[in-house]
Amino acid sequence: MQRAASLRHQDKAPAEPSPADGALTRAKQGDQTAFAELVREYQAMVYSLARNFVRDAAIAEDLAQEVFLHLFRNLAAIESPAHLKFWLRKVTSHRCIDFSRKQKAQGAKTSVSLDEAPEPVSIFDMPDSMMRSTIRRFVATLPEKPRLVVTLRYQEDLDPMEIAEILEMPLNTVKSHLRRSLAILKEKVTRSFGTEF
Amino acid sequence: MSKNRFDDELKHALRREEPSADFTDRLLARVAQEKEGFCEPAEEGRERQNGRRDSRLSWLRQLGALFTLPQLKWATAGALATLLVVSAVGLYQHRQQQLELQRQAELSAQISEAEGQRAKEQVMFAMRIASAKLNVAQKKVRDTLQQDAGQSVGHQQN
Repeated sequence: MQRAASLRHQDKAPAEPSPADGALTRAKQGDQTAFAELVREYQAMVYSLARNFVRDAAIAEDLAQEVFLHLFRNLAAIESPAHLKFWLRKVTSHRCIDFSRKQKAQGAKTSVSLDEAPEPVSIFDMPDSMMRSTIRRFVATLPEKPRLVVTLRYQEDLDPMEIAEILEMPLNTVKSHLRRSLAILKEKVTRSFGTEF
Repeated sequence: MSKNRFDDELKHALRREEPSADFTDRLLARVAQEKEGFCEPAEEGRERQNGRRDSRLSWLRQLGALFTLPQLKWATAGALATLLVVSAVGLYQHRQQQLELQRQAELSAQISEAEGQRAKEQVMFAMRIASAKLNVAQKKVRDTLQQDAGQSVGHQQN
């Protein structure tokens, strides 16, 4: 777990200075322009995590705004750009899960089991955009945690160790979620396209 | 589709997208609104680490937020004035009730005292009557005893 503990201070990117370095320092000093720079740099990441989870652009934007407002209030606690990235991924993931639980408590149906998911029309030569849309739809039917695991793995290109730290779950659980989700998604997509993938 | 192709499709399907064009502006507007009456974000972040300060700050923030919009200012002022009037009326009524209760208590105390006095007088009167009767009875007994004593002396002399 020592490696996991150090992950928040590292990043996959090489050690070249990112625009976030200076912006973070200035934003912590109260510079709103610098904060705007940080938002622009990370808004796609935060918004897309939420978007791939909730499958609703408006809700995803609201969630992303809440995450950045939370960041604004907690800038003092952010130690480095790598920590900022880790923090944003973590807070966004937790906000997504909270949102999903609130929806469930209110009786809204946010996800369905894979068997309940409607089958798209089976065609052999489906256009790419349609195929990706179908994949996104199937990802959205996964339960909360596996959905986040798959999203962090394929949207953010994170390895299971990093995902485990962000979602605060054991590494083996992450690997298991990933393996099972992929198997289910592959089977569903294969069935929908009517051909072996 | 090979595993790699499936992975690629997943990556494409879940790739990052930009939010709407006004996302940052909307966020900055909210940040500015939040920042208006309060301290710098870094200072605020430090203060948030202190639980009591934090709750006080958020309470103040909520209170302050009531006064940010002009139409809400009047609504809030109206609500506060109504609250003040209702409180004053309530306080006055409570005070009146207290005074009334106090008056009633004093009255009942006076009544009790008068009744006590009357009872005492009746007892004294009864005791005086009893005492007078007792005196009469005592006198009769004494007279009877004296008569009996006189008669027994006469018999002995005879």
